[in-house]
Amino acid sequence: MKIPTPIKAVLSYGALFGIVAVTFAAALKPVTLLNVSYDPTRELYEQINPAFARHWKEKTGQVVTIKQSHGGSGKQARSVIDGLQADVVTLALAYDVDALHEKGKLIPKDWQKRLPNNSAPYTSTLIFLVRKGNPKGIKDWDDLIKPGVAVITPNPKTSGAARWNYLAAWGYALRKNNNDEKKAQQFLARLFKNVPVLDSGARGSTITFVERGIGDVLINWENDVLLIAKKEHVGKYDVIYPSVSILAEPPVSIVDKTVDKRGTRAVAEAYLQFLYSDEGQEIAAKNFYRAQSPKVLEKYAAQFPKVELFTIDEVFGGWQKAQKTHFNDGGTFDAIYQGAK
Amino acid sequence: MTNKTRKVAVTVSALGTLWAANPGLAQESETIRELKSQVQELDQKLRIVERRLELEREAATEKSKSATSISAGAGGFGLRSADTNFVLKLRGYVQADSRWFLNDKIDANDTFLLRRVRPIFEGTVFDKYDFRVMLEFGSGASSSAANNGFVQDAYLNARFLPEFQVQFGKFKEPVGLERLQSGANLLFLERAYPTQLVPNRDVGVQLQGELFRGTLNYAVGIFNGVADGGSGDFETADDEKDGAARLFAQPFRNTSIDALKGLGIGLAGTLGNQEGPLRSFVSPGQQRIFAYRTSTSTNAPNVEADGDHWRLVPQGYYYWGPFGLFGEYAVSGQDVRQVSGGAGAGATAELRHTAWQVAASYVLTGEENSWRGITPTRPFNLSSGGWGAWEIAARYSELDLDDDTFPIFSNPNTSVTGAKSWAIGVNWHLNRNVKFNLNYEETDFEGGIQNPVAAQGKEQAILTRAQVSF
Repeated sequence: MKIPTPIKAVLSYGALFGIVAVTFAAALKPVTLLNVSYDPTRELYEQINPAFARHWKEKTGQVVTIKQSHGGSGKQARSVIDGLQADVVTLALAYDVDALHEKGKLIPKDWQKRLPNNSAPYTSTLIFLVRKGNPKGIKDWDDLIKPGVAVITPNPKTSGAARWNYLAAWGYALRKNNNDEKKAQQFLARLFKNVPVLDSGARGSTITFVERGIGDVLINWENDVLLIAKKEHVGKYDVIYPSVSILAEPPVSIVDKTVDKRGTRAVAEAYLQFLYSDEGQEIAAKNFYRAQSPKVLEKYAAQFPKVELFTIDEVFGGWQKAQKTHFNDGGTFDAIYQGAK
Repeated sequence: MTNKTRKVAVTVSALGTLWAANPGLAQESETIRELKSQVQELDQKLRIVERRLELEREAATEKSKSATSISAGAGGFGLRSADTNFVLKLRGYVQADSRWFLNDKIDANDTFLLRRVRPIFEGTVFDKYDFRVMLEFGSGASSSAANNGFVQDAYLNARFLPEFQVQFGKFKEPVGLERLQSGANLLFLERAYPTQLVPNRDVGVQLQGELFRGTLNYAVGIFNGVADGGSGDFETADDEKDGAARLFAQPFRNTSIDALKGLGIGLAGTLGNQEGPLRSFVSPGQQRIFAYRTSTSTNAPNVEADGDHWRLVPQGYYYWGPFGLFGEYAVSGQDVRQVSGGAGAGATAELRHTAWQVAASYVLTGEENSWRGITPTRPFNLSSGGWGAWEIAARYSELDLDDDTFPIFSNPNTSVTGAKSWAIGVNWHLNRNVKFNLNYEETDFEGGIQNPVAAQGKEQAILTRAQVSF
């Protein structure tokens, strides 16, 4: 059947108008995102989320609500692989995000290249929190292996922070022992002999140390340690920076399979990009994360003492290698912990 | 620090201060320091143990959330996924009966038998899709081209909404009230006459649901169609299909009027076209009392269904506390034809058989009476003194066969033209799973003077049952 031109025009414009109207209506429909994150980021994202919601509403007119889920980084990654419908993940280490590609095909292999700084909008490191007056005289990693010192750190099998702690200690021991792996392993074995309780996540370790009063030193994220010492329990603890530690780069990613299914890709991408904005960087710094923005980092320089930091690539050849050598079943951690028990 | 250790530490500390101030006690200050150190060490150990226990509890709770749960109880045995979207239940029941006939002259009808042996597999997949497979291995269970009697139920019910569910497969047609009651929850061992005029299980599709917060249940379906009292799972006689529908209301279910909450009334019916063999009817003692003329010879009468078939079944029940009342009436209209030679060859008629029953029961031990069975509040246990639930029951039921049935379509000498039965019973529910029944049922017959059962004037049957269901 031949359709007259004027009717064609009406149909075309009508269809176009319909598509625009539907798109517009869909855009204005309130949307919810789920951010699956690791343990100590609760406070950070409690501030980021409303700030982004305001930003998004001003920009698009759409109301966005962000839900948070927190737990040990490895455990959280497994939950997403098992079906937890996360729009974005903000985990403790790249290895856990890699797993979303390798075990669930939920994100592309090159996910880390999608955002600046290897998709790490902020960095941190691992330092010590001791009781007021530092009764055990703890100054560096060596002090953690002394007899009678109780060290609180979570389980590297389930916690991202714990893996960072472990690698920081290993890196220190290597440096001290001319890269002798055996001596580094012995060092870690002695350290874990001093660990009385192995929590599944960093937040659990904080509870063990702060609320249950167990242990002499807590190894934890710099942001968590500073939050405890400077905001939550002022005057009760001392912060100790070891001579050397590791540069932790907690990465973020959208979960492609979920955002495409839920139609939330645009808002999820904007959410992660917001972390790199001046406002996002400022909030991160206020929560004791080291901002990537030089401007913001400089502004908050006073709260981050200078400490020598090595990267995982430099010492361990990247996360995949570190995971395989140390944390996979049968790795050095298993050997160390079996011996330490 | 725990309260106890804190008190010890404070005491030790106070003593230390006192003794340190006293030169005479100064030499003991070292001992005090050691004691303080030991107390602190013990306190740490205690905290560590407490924290480890706390973590173990947390881990156990977390594990239980993601673990598949296995259950075993009065409701059967089951597996359930952590998100409850997938469920598998293993249920079933076994009825070990006996039948004893008083003052009869029929050989071999006093017997023990396995009335029903029914394993049931049921469950849910993807939250909204229920399935049920119930098999039958009771005495006399058989299979034919038209009906595989070993498969009683086999269906899928898609629960899209409580108000909108679609069921596919083989299951009970939504018609007879007593027929729809589970065989494990019957008041008497054998169902009354109206059940013989309504369809049993059939294969088809049914739309069903609950409306108005469960006060109105509806079901409407299309099935192959079966003869009165019959089951089927394969159409062998005709292309026609039966429509069946039922509305059942419990108007006071959600009100505060306790005396009326257990009132339910309904109307059900079928409409279709039926061809092929017809079924015989039996007495309460399950002895044949009526049969259409059948023959494989072309010179002898053979009667078959041949045309419209409809049924209408008003029904209702009333339960209040331990009291229960139950009744239904059934009328079945079936076009029949004498399809063979001999007397009445080619004759047709629309036969309307009717039946009704009313049954009352009372739970002597006070439990709530219900169409879905009785749960004893104090299960039978000699050591704790529980006696289970005791229930008494009485029933009256009649069957009236259309006068036009005789003599062309059925032999009035070998088939009864009607039957009237009364029954009394005692049911002992030891617990939710075990029940004993004792019934006495007496039946007077009309006609059928050469029928072995009816010829004796009446049937006096004592029926017993031991049932386990789970």
